Amino acid sequence: MKASINWLKEFVDFSAKPIEIANALTMAGLEVEGVEEVDGDTILEVNITPNRADCLSIIGVAREIAASLSLPFKKSKIPVIKEEFGAPEIEIKAPELCRRYASRIIRGVKIAPSPEWLSKRLEAHAIRSINNVVDATNYVLLEMGQPLHAFDLNNLTGHGIVVDKAGSIDKFFTLDNEERALETDTLMIWDKEKPVAVAGVMGGLNTEVTLSTSDILLESAYFNPPSVRRASKALNLSTESSYRFERGVDINAVVTALERAVDLILQTAGGKAGKLTDIHPKPLALRQISVGLSKINKIIGVSLKDSEVQDILTRLGFDNKKTGDTFVVIPPSFREDIQQDIDIIEEIARLYGYDKIPVTFPKVRLTPVKVNTHRNLIKITKDFLRRSGYSEVINYSFLNPSVFDKLRLSPDDKRRNTIKIKNPLRKEENSVRTTLIPALLGNIGLNINHGEKSLRFFELSKVFLPSKEKLPEEPLHLGAVCLKDSRMPSSIWEGKHECFYDLKGALENLMAELKVKDYSFVDTDSCEPYLHPGKSCTIKVNNEVIGSLGVLHPAAAEALELTGDIALFELNLSSLFLHILPKITYKSLPKYPYVERDISIVVSKDINAADIENAIARIDSNLIEGITLFDIYTGSPIPKDKKSLAFSIRFRAEDRTLTDAEVDVLHSKMVSLLESSFKAELRS
Amino acid sequence: MVEDILSIKAIAEEEIKGANDLKAIQSLRVKYLGKKGVLTDKIKSLGSVPKEIRPEYGKTLNETKNHIESILNQKESFFKASELESGLKANRIDVTVPGNFIPAGHKHPISRVLDEIVDVFSSLGFVIEEGPEIELDYYNFEALNIPRDHPARDMQDTFYITDDVVLRTHTSPVQVRVMQKNKPPLRVIAPGKVYRCDADVTHTPMFHQIEGFMVDEHISMGDLKGALELFLHAIFGEDTGVRFRPSFFPFTEPSAEVDIACVMCGGTGCRLCKGSGWIEILGCGMINPKVFEMVGYDPEKYTGFAFGMGIERITMLKYGIDDLRLFFENDKRFLEQF
Repeated sequence: MKASINWLKEFVDFSAKPIEIANALTMAGLEVEGVEEVDGDTILEVNITPNRADCLSIIGVAREIAASLSLPFKKSKIPVIKEEFGAPEIEIKAPELCRRYASRIIRGVKIAPSPEWLSKRLEAHAIRSINNVVDATNYVLLEMGQPLHAFDLNNLTGHGIVVDKAGSIDKFFTLDNEERALETDTLMIWDKEKPVAVAGVMGGLNTEVTLSTSDILLESAYFNPPSVRRASKALNLSTESSYRFERGVDINAVVTALERAVDLILQTAGGKAGKLTDIHPKPLALRQISVGLSKINKIIGVSLKDSEVQDILTRLGFDNKKTGDTFVVIPPSFREDIQQDIDIIEEIARLYGYDKIPVTFPKVRLTPVKVNTHRNLIKITKDFLRRSGYSEVINYSFLNPSVFDKLRLSPDDKRRNTIKIKNPLRKEENSVRTTLIPALLGNIGLNINHGEKSLRFFELSKVFLPSKEKLPEEPLHLGAVCLKDSRMPSSIWEGKHECFYDLKGALENLMAELKVKDYSFVDTDSCEPYLHPGKSCTIKVNNEVIGSLGVLHPAAAEALELTGDIALFELNLSSLFLHILPKITYKSLPKYPYVERDISIVVSKDINAADIENAIARIDSNLIEGITLFDIYTGSPIPKDKKSLAFSIRFRAEDRTLTDAEVDVLHSKMVSLLESSFKAELRS
Repeated sequence: MVEDILSIKAIAEEEIKGANDLKAIQSLRVKYLGKKGVLTDKIKSLGSVPKEIRPEYGKTLNETKNHIESILNQKESFFKASELESGLKANRIDVTVPGNFIPAGHKHPISRVLDEIVDVFSSLGFVIEEGPEIELDYYNFEALNIPRDHPARDMQDTFYITDDVVLRTHTSPVQVRVMQKNKPPLRVIAPGKVYRCDADVTHTPMFHQIEGFMVDEHISMGDLKGALELFLHAIFGEDTGVRFRPSFFPFTEPSAEVDIACVMCGGTGCRLCKGSGWIEILGCGMINPKVFEMVGYDPEKYTGFAFGMGIERITMLKYGIDDLRLFFENDKRFLEQF
């Protein structure tokens, strides 16, 4: 809100410079965000928090200045209106939505431009000058925070007002020449026949004050704040008027504001005023709040004396009396926000000055701190992936579902069942994500466009899956992606292997660090539609599929306009964390030496090394301690459809030193098994 | 007779001294100490030496043999060592080639700052808690004293899933969830993603917050000031100016905004702080008794403070990042700087 220093000075005498006033207001909770000199005046831009409806006016800000600088506030005198004819007929049919309605008629006004002082002042406060009558109502709105409305009396059928809901009327033309759809509960101002204004929001085109207007009916009212807010939201129309009504105006100032406006109109537009109608069925009973001095001091952390508290309350215009330890406080009608003792404590703290509250440190009772294991696991995961060369990315949770087609997901894929946002920022991004893959591939795309050739990214984030409960499931997912140019390694040490193995290695290393039990990478032909069928696998933990790993399918790559050797994985980290060894158990060290034998075989390219390892291990699980694949070779002299694999096998017995003869038996068993099961040929 | 030995010794010493390589030493060893070596011959013919000089002669011969052997050994090991050394020198590697390591990936700046903040509070005994990112309207608003149709809802533009379910607009709902489940005393921080329906130069529709709160029997605003000053000094440096000024949040009362002295100009006023010398860094306050009532705590018995801060803003200030969008573009050239 804008507030002119000159205008403020009409209500409080101060000699402080505008910048000092700005600082005082900021430190009292009315943050001044701008100080601008205009035409011999200074305009403050004040940020009024939603609780301080009383400060949405010049007098409101002036009261704050008076209170914080301990200066007297000059109350304006209520003008005495000369009444020359009768009062308007007003009926409130919805008293729960309109607690007060005051009105006077003015006849014989001459609609003209406002005098310069008035129009200039409005414009300095960002309100366009329209004519002397409308400007007078806006002037009072700015000065007192009470919105007013002037109707052209001769367009009001029956020259009276009825306050009632819209009911069956569903369309209405507002002043801005827009046809607005109404809800049945919207509070309207009617004449004897038709609606003439959306109460508290905007007047109607049918009763607008125009150059030909000679008689007006002036409205000053108190409308129920939530009702005005609902109407304003439903119409998608926020006005200076609705903004104040929905925060609450001073019900006891409704008539004062009316008189101020009538007086101003008589001065600037001439005419004669009629008698006052003031419908106020249930006058406001001022609230009485008790607050103890000890509680004030305990919560703020100070030791104020009675007199200091009393001084602050009095500066704020709060009636107060002390009985025993307790202050009985009556806040004025414009402080609807003061409801309970804590509100009074805040006022005292605020005017005492937050900067004067001494800094202390909480005294704590020693209590055991629960270790957040989940958080530790996340930390290990992130640290390990970083050590494997992967950088962390953070992407938005929003998702454009059209990406699912590019990823070739089947129509009934679970991930297509996304949770939708009713009011997305961009219409296409109307979902929250069910998978991290699209964003990770997007990150690769952006960086390829910058000329990057080698990229390793991971993201750890929740995804959102519909559930039977009110709230969706939010499992934690881990995704990673690797792009490399295998012809142009990024360092002399980087192997020329496919990036699939880079990514798999990072993941295996992580599994080992996390001490995940029973995990495996299972070769399946089509684990994910967006993965290369010959270069992908599912990730299983304890026989549960928790994700998949593979090379991006060329068709998906084309749809996403990506090129290069790209491998990626996504897994459900929440599930993975359920399969972590609870504790490490020590095994005593072996007492007898091992015997190591190498074996080199030629098999068909289709055969997986893991199958061979598993078969070897089964020969004698007691004596075979370990199997290591140490070489894979294709090319001359190995036939084209075959590959050579070399394993190193370590034998050891728990209770004796193995003899060569024993190992020879095992070795020849192994050879004949490999020959029969895998059609393996021994390489010499 | 003895003189013969001594002259052999002198010649041998001279010859050994002049030997230039291992080969020369080996042939000298053969010449003097070999099966038919000069000294070996003398030892063999010791029997023919006259009895009366034999003891002295024998002693001298023996000493000479030992002496020659010893200097031969000495010289031989010298040549062996230097031969090994020169062999190693020929077998060299290029030590200037970079070592074999996987270049470590980078920590996202948001994670970096978030972890730093979490560490400060963990060291003060705060426990980390989390809550759902898609949240019930009840926890996000109602239980925090933000009723429907209240203008305070305008403070946060909300993404709606249904009328009752929203993308959480702040991490404050975690306060309510934790208090519902636990009794005081409590010291908790809750980091996480939050969402607001807003996108411009200074707003992204998703960002990160850390919520923190403490509840016990005698917590005061002075304690709130103490805890937050301690934190801000840990993050921005011991000498950073901190100021508290009144503000409004429906779930705290009294409420405050906390400013730090501008990180760019130090408080004299510049473009970053819009001339004020101060930069808004977090919102906080004493937990509103209405919130305590919602979770069934006795507001006469317990008091507490709560605070919330945006991580992106703190990260920008810490690293001098001038464009908010960089955080979510994930440009390698940006990520690599952290």
